[in-house]
Amino acid sequence: MSSAPILVVGGGPAGLTAAHALASVGQPVVLVDKADRLGGAPILSGYAKLVPSGEWARDAIGGMVRRVEQNPLVNVHRNTTVAAFEGEPGRFRARLSNGQEIEPAAAILCTGFTHFDSVNKPEWGFGTYPDVVTTTQVEQMLSSGRGVHCPSDGREPERVAILLCVGSRDRQIGREWCSKICCTVSANIAMEIREALPRCQVYIYYMDIRTFGLYEDKYYWASQEEYRVKYIKARIAEVTSDGKRLIVKGEDTLVKRPITIPFDLVVHAIGMDPNVDNVLLAATFGVKLEPHGHIARAPTYSAMGGTSRPGVFVAGAATGPETIDDSIAQAQAAAMAALAFAQGGLARAAE
Amino acid sequence: MPIHEKSLIRPENLITHEELVIDEVNVSGHWSTFIQPRVVTDYDERLQEEIAALPGGENIHRCWQCGSCTNSCTVNAINPDFNPRYWIYLIRLGMKEELVRDKEIIWQCVSCNKCTYACPRDVNPEGVMKATARWLELKGYTEKKPSAIFDEEFSAQVFAKGRIEEGRLLQRFFARTRQKLLQDWLVELARRLFSRLPLMLMMKLGWASLFHPRTRGWRKARAAIADYVAECEAMERQVLGLNGKGPSS
Repeated sequence: MSSAPILVVGGGPAGLTAAHALASVGQPVVLVDKADRLGGAPILSGYAKLVPSGEWARDAIGGMVRRVEQNPLVNVHRNTTVAAFEGEPGRFRARLSNGQEIEPAAAILCTGFTHFDSVNKPEWGFGTYPDVVTTTQVEQMLSSGRGVHCPSDGREPERVAILLCVGSRDRQIGREWCSKICCTVSANIAMEIREALPRCQVYIYYMDIRTFGLYEDKYYWASQEEYRVKYIKARIAEVTSDGKRLIVKGEDTLVKRPITIPFDLVVHAIGMDPNVDNVLLAATFGVKLEPHGHIARAPTYSAMGGTSRPGVFVAGAATGPETIDDSIAQAQAAAMAALAFAQGGLARAAE
Repeated sequence: MPIHEKSLIRPENLITHEELVIDEVNVSGHWSTFIQPRVVTDYDERLQEEIAALPGGENIHRCWQCGSCTNSCTVNAINPDFNPRYWIYLIRLGMKEELVRDKEIIWQCVSCNKCTYACPRDVNPEGVMKATARWLELKGYTEKKPSAIFDEEFSAQVFAKGRIEEGRLLQRFFARTRQKLLQDWLVELARRLFSRLPLMLMMKLGWASLFHPRTRGWRKARAAIADYVAECEAMERQVLGLNGKGPSS
C-alpha cells in the first residue's frame, strides 16, 4: 500500500465516507474541512431527522464523524482549506492554508453545496417578515428541541404554509435545476409538525411533487393519508402581512381562482445551490464546472467519480443536488476509483 | 380531483323538462334539471404550433402551469376571467373551442409584463397573449380592435411619408373608429399647448399638417420594410393555412 496519502476535501457525509472507506483498506488519508468541526451540512445546519432512515442527524452523521476521528490513518485538518494543488498524477503537491505541505496520490472533492439564500426571492417575504422561515430553520427548531414556533413572538402556529421550489426550477434567478430533496424533506417536515402540533394545519404549495422512488408512499402518500397535509397546485405570487398574520397570495390553479390566505408561519423549501466556493475550488484543483456551476463529472459509465482532471475525483452534492444516501454511495465509489488510481501510480513508479 | 366550481356550469348545458314523469314520479320543472357533461372529445394538435409561430408565442411549450402569470396579472386582479395560465393550457392541449369562448377577454392584456418577470420558465406570457389575440384576428374570430386600427393608420402614414403627423393620425383614427374628433382630452391638450407652445414649433407643425412632406430618400427604405412585412405576413398565413388576404371567415 502506498504511503502517499489521498487528500479528501470536505468532511460532510461524502467526505466522511470516502475517508473511512480508504482508511478501512489501510490507505492513509488527509481530510481537510474549512469548518471548525466535521459533519458538513447536516451537522453545521442542525438538521433534525434524516430521510429516509428517520435517525437524528447528530446520531447518524455524528457516528460517521467519530468513526473517522478515531481512525489513526485519517489525519484531520479543521478550519483548513487547500491553498494550492499542483503537479502531475503520481507527483501531486498540495499546500494547505495552515502551511502544511503534502504529496497526495490523488484527491477527492467532497465539497458539497450551499443552501439557497431566500432573500433572492424577495416577493416571498423572507428577511421582511420574521415568521417567514426556511426548511433549514424548521429543522433547527425540531433538532434543538424548542419545537416549531413563530419567531416573531414564540407562539405555536395554527396554520403553516410550505412553499416548494424556492431557489429551484426558476429561470428568473438562474436556478434551472430541481434540488431533488425539497419535496420529500417538506413532506417529512409537514408530518413532524402535524405530529408535534396536532391542531396545526399544514398546506404545501407545489408546481410538481417529486418524492421519487420509495419516497412516494413513505412521505407523499403518508403525509396526505395519515397526517392530513393538504397539497395545493399553485405557485405563490407574494407573501405579505395584514399586521397580525402573514398573507399568502396566488392562484389556485385547479379551481382557477385567486387565493388570499392567512398563515402564522410560511416555510421556504430552499434548494441546493452550487457551493459558493466552487469557482475558487475549480481554479485551485484545475477541474471544470458544469454550466450551472457544480463540479463537472467525468462520464459515469466509464469513469464514475472522476472529474475533468485525472487523479482528482468528486462525490456527493459537489456535483449537483444530491441526497445523503446517494452522496455516501458516490463517495464509496470515488474512494474505490481514487485508490485504483493511486495504486496504478505506484505500479507506474515501480516500472 | 373534481373541480367544484359553480361558475363552470354553463347555462346552455342545463337541461330542464317542463313536463316529465319518470316511473310515475312527476319531476317536471326544476326537479328534472340536469347538467350535460363538458367532455373534451379531441385535441387540435395544430393549435400550439400556430400560436408558437406568431410573434411572442415562441416559448409557449415551456409552460408547466404554475400560475405565476395569472397571480401576477394586472387584468386578472380586476377580472378573474382573464387567466393567461388557463389559456396557455388550452392552447398547449389544443382545446380550441374553449379558447375561442374567451375571445372577447384575451385581447384585453395591457402588456404590463409583470408575468414576464414572474414566469420561472421564461414562457413570456405577455407575448403569448399578443400572439393569441393576433391568431383570433387572423382566423376571423374577432374583428379588428381599435389598437389594430391605430397601428394600421400609423404604419400607413410611415409607409407613405417615412414619418407620421400626429394631427392627421388622430383625425384618421377617430374617423375610422367612429369617434368624435374633438375629444375632451384633446381640447384640453390644445388649450394648454396654446398657452405655452413655442411659436417656431407651431409653425413647423402647421407646415407639416398642410403639406405632408416625405422623409428624404424614403423610397428605398420603404421598399425594404414593405418586403419584410410581406414576408412576415406570408409566413403567418402559411402556418395558419390561410389563403389570400383578410381573415379566413
